[in-house]
Amino acid sequence: MIEFFEYMWATRAEVLRHTVEHIGLVGVSTILAVAVGVPLGVVITRRARLRGPVLGVANVFQTIPSLAMFGFLIPLPFIGGIGARSAIVALVVYALLPIVRNTYTGITEVDAAVRDAAVGMGMTDREILRLVELPLAFPVMIAGIRVATVIGVGIATIAAAIGAGGLGVFIFQGVSRVDHLTILAGAIPAALMALILDGGLHLVERRLDWRRKRT
Amino acid sequence: MTSNHARRSRLPLLSFLTLLPACSSADLTIASKSFTESIILGEIVAQHLESKGLTVDRKLNLGGTFICHQALINGQADVYVEYTGTAHAAILELPTERDQAVVRQQLDSIYRVNWDLEWTEPLGFNNTFAMLVRGADARERNLRSYSDLSALAHVWKPGFGYEFVERADGYPGLTETYGFRFVAAPAVMDLGLTYRALADGQVDVIAGNSTDGQIEALDLVHLRDDLEYFPRYDAAPVVRRAALDEHPAIRAALLELGGTIDDATMRRLNFLVDAERQPIREVAAQFLATLDGSNLVPNR
Repeated sequence: MIEFFEYMWATRAEVLRHTVEHIGLVGVSTILAVAVGVPLGVVITRRARLRGPVLGVANVFQTIPSLAMFGFLIPLPFIGGIGARSAIVALVVYALLPIVRNTYTGITEVDAAVRDAAVGMGMTDREILRLVELPLAFPVMIAGIRVATVIGVGIATIAAAIGAGGLGVFIFQGVSRVDHLTILAGAIPAALMALILDGGLHLVERRLDWRRKRT
Repeated sequence: MTSNHARRSRLPLLSFLTLLPACSSADLTIASKSFTESIILGEIVAQHLESKGLTVDRKLNLGGTFICHQALINGQADVYVEYTGTAHAAILELPTERDQAVVRQQLDSIYRVNWDLEWTEPLGFNNTFAMLVRGADARERNLRSYSDLSALAHVWKPGFGYEFVERADGYPGLTETYGFRFVAAPAVMDLGLTYRALADGQVDVIAGNSTDGQIEALDLVHLRDDLEYFPRYDAAPVVRRAALDEHPAIRAALLELGGTIDDATMRRLNFLVDAERQPIREVAAQFLATLDGSNLVPNR
């Protein structure tokens, strides 16, 4: 244990650098996944025929092994190559499913009576979505983003396989050196990051729920 | 005399028996490590010994270096194919030695004294780190050796696996020996992906394995290590001396396999299994068939 802290202290500059890279990878990919996933989730509540294909594709994405996905991405222009871009594309693809599904579930679970009332007040579909459905679905959507973020922290360690840095660098180095201290230098900060983000987003989720009940 | 019914019902029984611990009546047990090349070599050795009338139990895909080594020491296996450089560094934990005669002599004596094991004839190939470049680049710029590469290093971008960058006998010593000054720090990534990155032009030189089947498939060229920087990893069967005493035919049979598999042949065998997904048993049988009439005299 003391050995571990000594090692962390001795390599603190590297630990910090890779932690920042890791946060960057998770942050950018989660934001992009929200930007893509939420509209997709909304669209499939309006176009029932698209629901099966969209959720099916998002499901299949989850099952692609990361190294295989990197193999496909290397030759692609703009989104591929080696480095952070390919890693972020892979992370977005993995984050889509929980975000799309929870957006869809959150909106479809809005009480039909509430939606009827909104229609009765003469709201357009766009107004119903913006003023009624999305606010009521928000806690469920945040729960999906929370799942996507926590999974993302774990999956982002494979970014090191394509030269994109992050805490996975320690894990890959440690495995090739057969040195568990180096592996832990990557694994423990990543685990802490996942716990902190999970706790933080849980607070957001609870606060939103609480406000909904008061109003 | 067996009826059809009896023959059918025996199959599941047989497959069940192979799961039981070794209490077999086979003459000897052959192990291999858990990667394609090692399994192919185990299968080649197994089939060749079978062609000499010996019965063989296969424990292929057994595990890593230490597990195979331990299996021989415990007598749970009698033969597996090991690499000289791996045994020297990982099992004997000796410092890197580039003189192959010294390595071989150390292996022979320590294995014999400590574990009553014997290194037999090397199979003929050397699975070492290999600096690889695109075939087009090699032809266009007439690259043959690592020394030729040092003239281009200042404009070329390397991509390496984590292990190669970490190991003292990898990247650090290489740049020192050849005086490489690459234009950018190496892109460090998964070893398998470096092949893709090289083929796609994302990097210009990588460190692969000299017997990798992808080398031919992707039109890559393995440059010559003209200053003999990398230690040799010559593959050779390691055998329990007790088994050799019991079945003298083993030594003669392994002697026949000596020197029959060069780097290009091993690359082709790996390629057939990994890229073309041919069954290892058939690949091994086809290889042994090509040896018929040359230095092999099967007595069946």
